[in-house]
Amino acid sequence: MPLRLLDPTVIAPPVQAAAAPRLKSFEGLRIGVLWNGKVNADTLLRETANCFLKQHGCSLVSEERKPSASILAKPQVLQRLAEKSDFLITAVGD
Amino acid sequence: MAGCLPKYFPIVVAALEAADRDRYTFHGSTASTGGSTPMLIVSGPIAEQIGMNAAANVFGPGNRANATIGRAMRLIILNVFQMIPGVSDRSTQGWPGKYGCCIAENTAASPWSPLHDELGFRGGSSVTVFAASGFHNIENHYTDDPEALLSTFADAMASLGAFSDGESVIVMSPEHAKIATSRGWSKRDIQDFLFAQAWREQGELRRAGKVPHDAEPRNDEARVHRGLGPDDILIVVAGADAGGHSAFLTSWSRARGSLRQSRRIES
Repeated sequence: MPLRLLDPTVIAPPVQAAAAPRLKSFEGLRIGVLWNGKVNADTLLRETANCFLKQHGCSLVSEERKPSASILAKPQVLQRLAEKSDFLITAVGD
Repeated sequence: MAGCLPKYFPIVVAALEAADRDRYTFHGSTASTGGSTPMLIVSGPIAEQIGMNAAANVFGPGNRANATIGRAMRLIILNVFQMIPGVSDRSTQGWPGKYGCCIAENTAASPWSPLHDELGFRGGSSVTVFAASGFHNIENHYTDDPEALLSTFADAMASLGAFSDGESVIVMSPEHAKIATSRGWSKRDIQDFLFAQAWREQGELRRAGKVPHDAEPRNDEARVHRGLGPDDILIVVAGADAGGHSAFLTSWSRARGSLRQSRRIES
């Protein structure tokens, strides 16, 4: 019987996603913050949000935390952030 | 795949199904700098039926089933899930267990009920998947006192480098298991003992940089235990009859990001 070689690799399906429309201005917008749960990321995110508060008159309206950096944010968390804020700041901290 | 015989396949399938559960966190555990491997522990009749090794050199080379089932998991992670080292698998160092880490329970040498019974898969076989970040040999040859012996285990579990709120796996050699149970201690008694003994003072953890310096509440004398309770410690017997060598495997997850998962093997 001839030797038959199989290629176990797969090609990842294309991701159906698109970037949100770019904001024309930050003035007076509502900010949401999503913290990945790791130490220091909260400090980084709040300081970044403060820059927008001071420079663009934004307001920090929503802060959410993931239970673990490795676990996806729950849909209801993302829904809350989307409903309350005009843009989101998130980052990987450690 | 990886040299697995068809009769090994139910274990690979069950392991992947267990690792697919949300609480295992498959993506995070295979992508993280922590560099874990899905350690597989097989318990039940299938291990003997397919010729798995549960005894001498159980973690090492020399057995086709152990080697290829573990290797199949890694090749699936690499080729199917595209967790490519340095690209999507960002392990800082990884460890040799990432080539493959699959063992069978040595039920013949275990003083306790088989793991598959304990896990609720009575009459069948099971596989447990644990995101393990490393292997610590626990050597103790000169005591026959259970508390002295188990203190060696607890000391390894409480080592600063491995210390976390995560789970633990103890693979106890038959010789150590015999000593540990010589006063009639059940597995539960041993889990309780290990949890009670594997602790550090909060101040030590703070000074060593294992907790943030501003962590609250601040109580430097408070005892902090490894894991959240005795159930976080999985104990299984494997290895050769002779030798005072056991193993502690630390969790990749520093908290509750990944919890071990077990599944019945359908064959």
